[in-house]
Amino acid sequence: MQYQSQAVAKLYFTAAIGLFAGQILFGLILGLQYVVGDFLFPAIPFNVARMVHTNLLIVWILFGFMGAAYYLVPEEAERELHSPGLAVLMFWVFLVAGALTILGYLLVPYSGLAQMTGNDLLPTMGREFLEQPTITKIGIVIVALAFLYNIGMTILSGRKTVVNLVLLIGLTGLAVLFLFAFYNPDNLVKDKFYWWWVVHLWVEGVWELILGSILAFVLIKTTGVDREVIEKWLYVIIAMTLITGIIGTGHHYYWIGTPEYWQWWGSVFSALEPIPFFMMTVFAFNMVNRRRRNHPNKAAVLWALGTAVMAFLGAGVWGFLHTLAPVNYYTHGSQITAAHGHMAFYGAYAMIVLTIISYAMPMMRGRKAANSNRSQVLEMWSFWLMTVSMVFITLFLTGAGILQVYLQRYSDNPLPFMVVQEKIALFYWLREVTGLVFLIGLVLYIASFFVGSKDPEVAVEQAASPTA
Amino acid sequence: MPRSAELPEAGLSLAVMAEALYLSNLLLAPGLAFLALLWLWWRHRGQAPALARAHLAQAVSGSLWAGVLLVVLNAVIVLLGGYDGPWTWVVVITYFTFCHSALVVFGAYGLAKAMAGQCWRYPLLGRPLPNGCPEALS
Repeated sequence: MQYQSQAVAKLYFTAAIGLFAGQILFGLILGLQYVVGDFLFPAIPFNVARMVHTNLLIVWILFGFMGAAYYLVPEEAERELHSPGLAVLMFWVFLVAGALTILGYLLVPYSGLAQMTGNDLLPTMGREFLEQPTITKIGIVIVALAFLYNIGMTILSGRKTVVNLVLLIGLTGLAVLFLFAFYNPDNLVKDKFYWWWVVHLWVEGVWELILGSILAFVLIKTTGVDREVIEKWLYVIIAMTLITGIIGTGHHYYWIGTPEYWQWWGSVFSALEPIPFFMMTVFAFNMVNRRRRNHPNKAAVLWALGTAVMAFLGAGVWGFLHTLAPVNYYTHGSQITAAHGHMAFYGAYAMIVLTIISYAMPMMRGRKAANSNRSQVLEMWSFWLMTVSMVFITLFLTGAGILQVYLQRYSDNPLPFMVVQEKIALFYWLREVTGLVFLIGLVLYIASFFVGSKDPEVAVEQAASPTA
Repeated sequence: MPRSAELPEAGLSLAVMAEALYLSNLLLAPGLAFLALLWLWWRHRGQAPALARAHLAQAVSGSLWAGVLLVVLNAVIVLLGGYDGPWTWVVVITYFTFCHSALVVFGAYGLAKAMAGQCWRYPLLGRPLPNGCPEALS
């Protein structure tokens, strides 16, 4: 670790991993509730479990992004963080606010939570993914502003690189677009229209910039390829992301009451959205193939390559699968959407956070560059278990979605929703079993921080050499 | 020494073009891109540098296999399962998406290898590499 203040990232990464574990546990509860409807009812109803599952996902990814920024910005800017104290303070504010919100979901009926937190003064609750009480949303804005100030001041007074500027643009976009969470018009069409400005323009817009910059940083560090080469790739990738992703928002406007031209705009531009993800795959493989050294942290390189491939599959391919308006007419809101959501979030955002954690944590825990061999082997096992099980979760949900669409929306005698749910239960069971394998992978991942921690670390970088 | 300085220039652009045409056949212009790939392979099959020959041969055999796996096998599934069977479409769409994605990822990896001036054999469906192929780093 080159700068002392990078150590604040450790707090954020630790919280991210803890919340990730919580998200998976609630995912398993949810998965079981799909087939055993009254499991844990009335203690944890389905809608609450779903809210906790998705909100924990968003919060742990945000913790991961912040940790990544606190780690990589000082190194890129070649100076200490503007205010490490502010970063630590905001960590605790965010963690306490997040924990109270989750406890609120679990312990108080949602309408009561709205009443308790004064939602009637500025109503923002009750919308998918933006269920947080208004006061929590205000807390998120305060944390985001303090975070941007801290990161921005560090970058402005230090070296400006493409990596930290792209990261700053992404993080600023993340904060600015979240402000649309406060716009909650009575008109449902307008409500949905701007709701997507938070949800879509986060995950298919500015978050991709954050993903690209973190991936570029890790590849610069682990491959030793010239920064200029990697930066040129990053420019093209983020350009394609914004060109396709911004108007690609239109794929959410097909059936919500907006003008019909969105069916064309949405179809054409979102069909191009896999391009930046495809480029990211070629970019990552290309950099690793052209590496000038063999970095001892093989697990981090594996996570980086895995991110590129899984993001392409989950966000690119499975997104394209149901993005064209004539297809989406049938598949909208089915289990095909769930399949896409699972693989895209895991592949693009969970994995990039795990990549930077894998790269940075050993150094923050006193290693020179990498963990011991035993620890890395365990971490790589966890990579394969989680990644392969996510592929199968996606395939099972895809199968469920196709059958659901056929029986419920396409056949000559469409069946009611709940009748179809029973017919696709086999897929839900298979998904649940695979989810358990994912949990085993996560347990191994956490264990990798403790196993072999006293063993010597893998030998420091050797020059890459041709082999037979 | 910068790694880029070690890139074997001979055959690099042909190798990249072969992989690009393989990917175009899967993603942009099925059939048309394959014909262009066949023409390129036919024209350079004898005298091109080993790197180019390797990627041309891999891309041609990969494309032929892609045709079997994506068109022929799916047609068989539909014929056996019946056009109106919901389970037929569960199998066809899931299989096609998974198989097509895997072939595209192989192509992306092949393209990255070609750009780095290295040979690469497609898993399971690739042909043996010719002698004199630039070796990969480990």
